[in-house]
Amino acid sequence: MSESVINIIGLIGSIIILCLSLLLAFKIERLKQTETECKKLRKSLDEMDEQAKLIIRTDMELNKTQEELDKKISSLYALQKLSRAISTTLEETQIFKRIDATTLEELGFERNCCFLWSAEADRFVLHLAIGYTKGELDTIVSFIESIKSSLQDIITQERSFSTLTLAKNTTLRNKVNRIFNVHAFVVSPILSKEGAQGLFFAGTNNPDFTMTEGDEELIGIFAHQVGQTLENARLFEKTWRAQQDLEKKVELRTHELTQALEEVKLISKRKTDFVSAVSHELRTPLTSIKGYASILLAGKLGEIPEEVRLRLEKVNKHSDELTGIVNDLLDISRIESGRIIMKQASVDLSKLVASVADLLSVQFKAKDITFSDAIPQEATTVWVDEGQIKRVFINIIGNAIKFTQLGGKISVQSSKTDKYVRVDIHDTGCGIPPEAQEKVFEEFYRVDNAINETAKGTGLGLALVKHIVEAHGGRIWVESSTGRGSTFSFTLPMTA
Amino acid sequence: MISTQTFQIGVGASTQRDYILAVKEAMQQARATIYNAKIDLTIVFTSSEFAHPNTLKTVKDIVGDSALIGCSTGGVIAGNEVLHFGIAIALICLPEKTHLVTADIDAVQARTALKAGEELGEKLVSGFSGLPRDFGLIFYDGLMAENWSFIAGLQEKLGISFPLIGAAASDNLQFAKTSVFHNERILQDAASGVLFGGRLISGYGIEHGWKPIGKPRTVTKSINNVVYEIDGVSATNVYEDYFACNLERLKKESRRISILYPIGISLPDEKEILLRNILSIENNGSLIFQGNVPEGSPIRLMIGTKESCLEATKKAAGSAQQRFLGTPCNLILVFDSMSRNALLGRDSKKEIKIIRDVFGPNVPLIGACTYGEQSPLESINYKGKTYLHNQTITILAIGG
Repeated sequence: MSESVINIIGLIGSIIILCLSLLLAFKIERLKQTETECKKLRKSLDEMDEQAKLIIRTDMELNKTQEELDKKISSLYALQKLSRAISTTLEETQIFKRIDATTLEELGFERNCCFLWSAEADRFVLHLAIGYTKGELDTIVSFIESIKSSLQDIITQERSFSTLTLAKNTTLRNKVNRIFNVHAFVVSPILSKEGAQGLFFAGTNNPDFTMTEGDEELIGIFAHQVGQTLENARLFEKTWRAQQDLEKKVELRTHELTQALEEVKLISKRKTDFVSAVSHELRTPLTSIKGYASILLAGKLGEIPEEVRLRLEKVNKHSDELTGIVNDLLDISRIESGRIIMKQASVDLSKLVASVADLLSVQFKAKDITFSDAIPQEATTVWVDEGQIKRVFINIIGNAIKFTQLGGKISVQSSKTDKYVRVDIHDTGCGIPPEAQEKVFEEFYRVDNAINETAKGTGLGLALVKHIVEAHGGRIWVESSTGRGSTFSFTLPMTA
Repeated sequence: MISTQTFQIGVGASTQRDYILAVKEAMQQARATIYNAKIDLTIVFTSSEFAHPNTLKTVKDIVGDSALIGCSTGGVIAGNEVLHFGIAIALICLPEKTHLVTADIDAVQARTALKAGEELGEKLVSGFSGLPRDFGLIFYDGLMAENWSFIAGLQEKLGISFPLIGAAASDNLQFAKTSVFHNERILQDAASGVLFGGRLISGYGIEHGWKPIGKPRTVTKSINNVVYEIDGVSATNVYEDYFACNLERLKKESRRISILYPIGISLPDEKEILLRNILSIENNGSLIFQGNVPEGSPIRLMIGTKESCLEATKKAAGSAQQRFLGTPCNLILVFDSMSRNALLGRDSKKEIKIIRDVFGPNVPLIGACTYGEQSPLESINYKGKTYLHNQTITILAIGG
């Protein structure tokens, strides 16, 4: 019994041991599998970590590039803002006021100074200071004064220097670092066409700031821009001053001319008044002279001897001429003083010319002169004082007859010009020398020629003509060449 | 200080170079939207150049008895810009039945960070004496060593029943001098804070947008913020391996590595990953981080892009806005990591646009770029404990 029990127990024990062995073997297998899985996982993790390293390194490079790009974009944007700000002023004092500290900071430089060379003061004068206290600036100004000769040499060579170009531990670099209290800096010459004008200092105390060639270039560009703006401002100032001087001169001259004109007007008025008064005074005795001469010639006071009659006829004739002169002078003075009002009305120019031609037909015939007129329909109606304009035609054509040789030609033609009718009276006479052409309309001027030496004339006809034409709002001029005749042209207002 | 008026906010900013003109310009803008109300609190953020007592005195001369807090920053967030030079001011006139207490603590190092945190907490709490608290806002020196201990001390006294949001002052990545402001005091090695209570509504969001990359690793030797070994090898070796460069080159690239590839610490019970920037790479093979990295922490190397950052901003703004559905938000305070600002570069203003797109274009908004942000994780499922963060954007929205 006990043996069989022992056997059974032994059997069970063996089975249990077998089961446990199997379980152990299974567990070991599972453990091996888990370990394999773990190894795989660890391997995956390590691989993932390796990939992470690659990602991080690439990301780092990308970020660096991005950072540089961002910096460049920001700097360019800031530079553009600064350039725009300073280039929109032409006042030298305003240029530096417009340099915005925040924008310069965007370029990476929070401490900035600008010095311009003053030949007058023989030193660099501070025009801009950003990021410094008064005490710091005093030290900086003294430092700049102490190295002004070296600085002049450097900027004359038109080159920048910076913490990038100056070797470490050089005296200049160390001094600039210490006195300007910066970690990195650029000093650029301010250039204009006339050369270096001063220097622009840009610095930063940011220890993370790494100076690049791009930074140096940007400050150089900005300093150059400042130089150009300064030049523009100075040029503008110069031009403006010149303009002001010119304006003052023009004003002075205008004032002088106005005074002279007033004097001329005064003299002219006095002359007109004098002529008018004298003419009036002359007319009365002239009328008496002519009247008595006529009475004597008519024989009302008895028969007069032939010689006396001839003399009296001369007296009568000269009296008529003198009356003519006096009348012309009176007319001129009246027109000048505005005492004659032109009685303007619509007048047919062709009829007026025909009547003048008719009036002068005897003279034409006497000198065998061919007269012609060409007054087209569109240039015939004028708004004038008929009597006065008739005097104009009579005077000019009368002169033409006087100075045209036998068998010559005189023509009148008109044409429309805007609101005026232009009349050209052409003759084939002896012509007027160029130097006399402007003077023929002056009172008492007579062209120096053979005809005038013998022919009579007062020198008032064309002066009166000019006054009449101008009183109508027109103008008169002459074109002539000696020996080829003359053309007197004038304009008259058209009937609206 | 208990208020008896309606909630009014005015914000203003200036980039004028003269601090008096800058303060006046910013104050003029800020006061333009305040109508006949007493200013209870003035928040000031300035670039390092303006962080001096004269600036605060000029502000105080205008605002009178109002409490003032703030900090220096490498980037003043105002309007739609991040200004590297300037000042931003927010004037806060609290609504009825709300109150606030401000306090500061200096000589943190001498007191020890933990003790200093506790003392500041006590000062803030003692001012409340049983009144309900809504939220706290803390500014601390960005160069403070053991800032995590300071926060732990602070939280120890303030408890976890309300959110505590904070920012570390900064100085444009020079790590030379950062300051916190309290009334007319400019303080280094110090912190200042304000505790709000009453009927105020606050919402906050905190996100970074970095993603883990590479295999999980463990910090095998560290003391506070100095990590000596990762997975049993020198910490710098791991980085040298990842970036395929020697120690010297690694040190040269430390700024870029710090911004782009921080480490992420996985926290038990929190789904978010806490980021830590590298402050420096040491010759002895250790890495010094901007916050503590406990020994045994599971860590991953993190990688971020501009797009992932901006996506995170949108998410943070959305979280902060959750509590304002149907309720107007009166002020948005933004604390944005200096590293994010450096990474985003010209795109940093896009973050502000994203926030404005979420809250509306006219909500007053100011902020500062920081050397560390402090906030609880997961604002929606609020768990109370405040953590020290790097690389995040932290948005605090206030209404009432």
